[in-house]
Amino acid sequence: MSSLITPVEHGRTGGLPAWLAHLASSAANWPTAYRARLQERPRRTVLLSALVVLVFAYPLLNRAVLQPFSRNVFPLPAPDDTTVVFMLIFATMAIGLNIVIGFAGLLDLGYVAFYALGAYSAAYLASPHWSGVSILLFSDLPAGFPGIHLPFFIIFWAAALVAALFGALLGAPTLRLRGDYLAIVTLGFGEIVPVFFKNLVNVHFSFGPIQLVNANLTGGPLGINPIDAPELFGIKFGVIHGFNAVYLALAVVAMSIVIARNLERSRMGRAWMAIREDETAAEMMGVNTVRTKLLAFGLGASFAGFAGAMQASYQGATTSDFFMFATSILVVIMIILGGIGNIWGVILGAITVQYVDKTLLGWVGNRLKDTGVAIGSPQLGEINPSQFSFLLLGLALVLMMRFRPEGLLPSRQRAAELHAAPPDQALGSAAVMEIEEEVIEEAEPEDVDATTDPPPEPGAASGPPDTPGRPGGVT
Amino acid sequence: MSAMAGAPLAELRTGHVPDDQLLVRARGVTKRFGGLVAVNSVDFDIPRGAIVSLIGPNGAGKTTFFNMITGYYVPTRGDISFDGHPIVSMKGEKARSKKPHEVTALGIGRTFQNIRLFSTMSALDNVLVGQHVHLRSHWWDAVLRTPLLLAEEERATERAHALLEFLGLGARAHTWARNLPYGDQRRLEIARALATSPKLLLLDEPTAGMNASETREMTDLIRRLRAELGLTVLLIEHDMRVVMGISDRVTVLDYGEVLAEGSPAEVRANPRVIEAYLGRGAAEEG
Amino acid sequence: MDEQLLQTIVIGLSNGLIYALVALGYTLVYGIIELINFAHGDVFMLGSMLALTLLITFGVTTGTDPLTAIALIVLVLAITMAVTATLNVTIERVAYRPLRHAPRLAPLISAIGMSFVLQNVGLLWKGPANIGFPDVIPNTNILTTVLGLDTSVAITYKHLFAAVVTIPLLIVLTWFVAKTKQGKAMRATAQDPDTAGLMGIDVNRTIAITFVIAGALAGAAGLVQVLYNNTTVWNLGFRFGLNAFTSAVLGGIGNLQGAVLGGIVLGLINAFSDRYLSTQWTNAIVFGVLIGILVFRPTGLLGQQLADRA
Repeated sequence: MSSLITPVEHGRTGGLPAWLAHLASSAANWPTAYRARLQERPRRTVLLSALVVLVFAYPLLNRAVLQPFSRNVFPLPAPDDTTVVFMLIFATMAIGLNIVIGFAGLLDLGYVAFYALGAYSAAYLASPHWSGVSILLFSDLPAGFPGIHLPFFIIFWAAALVAALFGALLGAPTLRLRGDYLAIVTLGFGEIVPVFFKNLVNVHFSFGPIQLVNANLTGGPLGINPIDAPELFGIKFGVIHGFNAVYLALAVVAMSIVIARNLERSRMGRAWMAIREDETAAEMMGVNTVRTKLLAFGLGASFAGFAGAMQASYQGATTSDFFMFATSILVVIMIILGGIGNIWGVILGAITVQYVDKTLLGWVGNRLKDTGVAIGSPQLGEINPSQFSFLLLGLALVLMMRFRPEGLLPSRQRAAELHAAPPDQALGSAAVMEIEEEVIEEAEPEDVDATTDPPPEPGAASGPPDTPGRPGGVT
Repeated sequence: MSAMAGAPLAELRTGHVPDDQLLVRARGVTKRFGGLVAVNSVDFDIPRGAIVSLIGPNGAGKTTFFNMITGYYVPTRGDISFDGHPIVSMKGEKARSKKPHEVTALGIGRTFQNIRLFSTMSALDNVLVGQHVHLRSHWWDAVLRTPLLLAEEERATERAHALLEFLGLGARAHTWARNLPYGDQRRLEIARALATSPKLLLLDEPTAGMNASETREMTDLIRRLRAELGLTVLLIEHDMRVVMGISDRVTVLDYGEVLAEGSPAEVRANPRVIEAYLGRGAAEEG
Repeated sequence: MDEQLLQTIVIGLSNGLIYALVALGYTLVYGIIELINFAHGDVFMLGSMLALTLLITFGVTTGTDPLTAIALIVLVLAITMAVTATLNVTIERVAYRPLRHAPRLAPLISAIGMSFVLQNVGLLWKGPANIGFPDVIPNTNILTTVLGLDTSVAITYKHLFAAVVTIPLLIVLTWFVAKTKQGKAMRATAQDPDTAGLMGIDVNRTIAITFVIAGALAGAAGLVQVLYNNTTVWNLGFRFGLNAFTSAVLGGIGNLQGAVLGGIVLGLINAFSDRYLSTQWTNAIVFGVLIGILVFRPTGLLGQQLADRA
């Protein structure tokens, strides 16, 4: 019976060969596993499979069917390739930010900083920007061509690494702050980083052997261009080859989904959820909250790194104008509208918001113009719906918070948290839990012993440490 | 390990047990909040294998003391060691304490006075979180689904089920914590604490809100925890039946100081204890 | 003392007063419902746009005769304050009150949404570019023309105007909160809304009044902005809001005197950064200050010290 107490053992697992063998056997097993799934949950499996097929066939469908269809038959506009690529880029970011906000419950309002870091990292490593050197790797540019030109596969991961490091770095000061203060600090970083990218145009710096005189570190407001287009196995995926690029972006999103799901259903995923629910209890149960939160920030940011690398390489250029504070909020909106905590939900949110913002609004404007001309009031055409995008997004946020704060397709858990049962309906313990919410301003002995909670942390004006997403009660 | 139970009383009192038989050794522990002294220079021993109770009126400093043992509060002064490892030690004029998760890793598990389960996680997941500190898979194991992760998750899940069974929650493994009845929630908290592989279990008012038969069940459970799992238990309790029923030793705190310590019977008859709880008049009535 | 330094201080103090007015709005609202009202800076922005529109409508411009100008300015001030107060309390009613018992995340997000909405309104109303307004209040240097000092430091009627509008408002507000019954109700609700309710205070009404006051102050600040800085733009609220919020936090969120002190300090920081560094970096510096305070001294300069946690 004492084995109940002993921790599980960590047997020898065989390292790399074992892993490869395992992968091979899973792959070989796939048809059987799929058939089993089909038997257990037929409807869901079929739906998801159909979805996957549709998604991968989309670019073809778009060209062959949807665009002519939308022009001639069904009036909703089909998005063009660049819009689709950006839908997928934002979907990648939404998946990443979902780890920070949705899993770990840390309200990060400055996510755009990591997007920028990813994009500029990619730009540094795949453009003529550093004209003083010439480093070429697997590139078909002539020898001696200025700048650093590494292949996409490398800069993709390098960008993610840089973003991840900064994610942990910028997350570190927020560790002891509670919800709204954490949000503001991250917001601050989200503002400051793009300012650096915009202004580091004229840098004088000398430290030992490192001398920078009049160095243009970031290309300023004009940014960095041209940036090498992504190329894998001889196929190019830049904006000129939009069709290919959609597939690359799809692959990135697919990879992101796998990574995020694997994280969710692991020791780390559970630790994040525990911290979100009740950070103190998690700490007491042995979760190293500092490390766990830093990992959330870092891993979450790495997805923005992927996205940034995609943006820079696909478009062949990047500037600080792409990385405004509003973009951070945009990704937050995507998560909130789509479904907080749920990977599929946030993808839906990203695609929908991008679609509305980039395609639908413009299309509505055109329809208004046509209608205006048709009914004899051309002023109708003066209304430019694209100018209303902030308003619509803002309104959507306000309404969502009021009526469906968990989003369209939330995870069951977040939905449950946001609609916590009122105290007198929940079973017994809830009433006991309510007591802990009392404001503890100074430590009186009665207060201290009446609850398990010590006086508030720094950064808390009152009350126990709080993380966003927690219901009004405590657990 | 349970040699202590039933041993002559004198050997269980603080300061009377040889160090190698102590699981917790606290000396001179003081906690000040601003101008207020919540715990005042308390010495406290917990012998291995003992069930020790900490009682006292509200505001006496019991939970504060708990919080210091687990590393949640840093004492103002004092030394606390656990199983030979220092948890709190003085560095000059300041006390340094291990962090709570480090203390948990050393082997102290706890439950809370007001239940603090992870409410929208299943019972199974709650227990799995308890195992967090001793599991070895990292985030890259998760991302790559390495054999280490898969094997570990399987074993951990098995163990979690076993723990739930032990506490009678086997059928409810996939129920969300907040949907469990109150008694089950209390037991789930214990299961989660056991998952941290503790040597010492701190139970903060485990029978609060329970009726007589539930209390008896809980008392039996606590005995089983020591007998079958070899745990040492420190209890905060207000229910005197529980305290008298299972404690090997009782310590009474009042205004942050140790008022009395001894066997349950001794403490119950101690006039100063009676006075602290019920007022001077009651003590004089005998 | 270096004249450029002095001038920078003058500019800093004057702008600081405007920040203080807006900061009071943030601190009042945060004090009472623990919400960072993201939309507050945008209420200020709309107030400034309204003031500008009204001034133009009433024909107040550079050559206007001083008495008429003053009378009309007072009128515009009154109207603007009334409108922004109404706007603010409506926002509270619509976007925040329904979320009073939701997790803290919800009203914060709602506030961000509201901020977006208001910014877009400003954008649609006056377009994307900066809008200028002529110098109605003379930009003449009082020190040289009236006091006959020989200096290049300029304290103009505009600076005086900024002080003349803001300082009385600050005094009135402080008196109101400290001495009146309503002010006491506000302080009680800020401390503990449930108990305040049990004591017979109409918590909803008290909160609404707080928003009315905050809105009015933002409107006044908007007018000063137009007449002192001669400009407004749709995203003014963001920059100002940042500065005002930082002021509130610097002084100690929930603390009125702190908001004023913070506003002045922020005004000086802005002025010094603009002058001695570059306007491009000022925003980043202000954010840096904000982050620094929140991380190292979240209770602010005048806030209370909290007990130490493990």
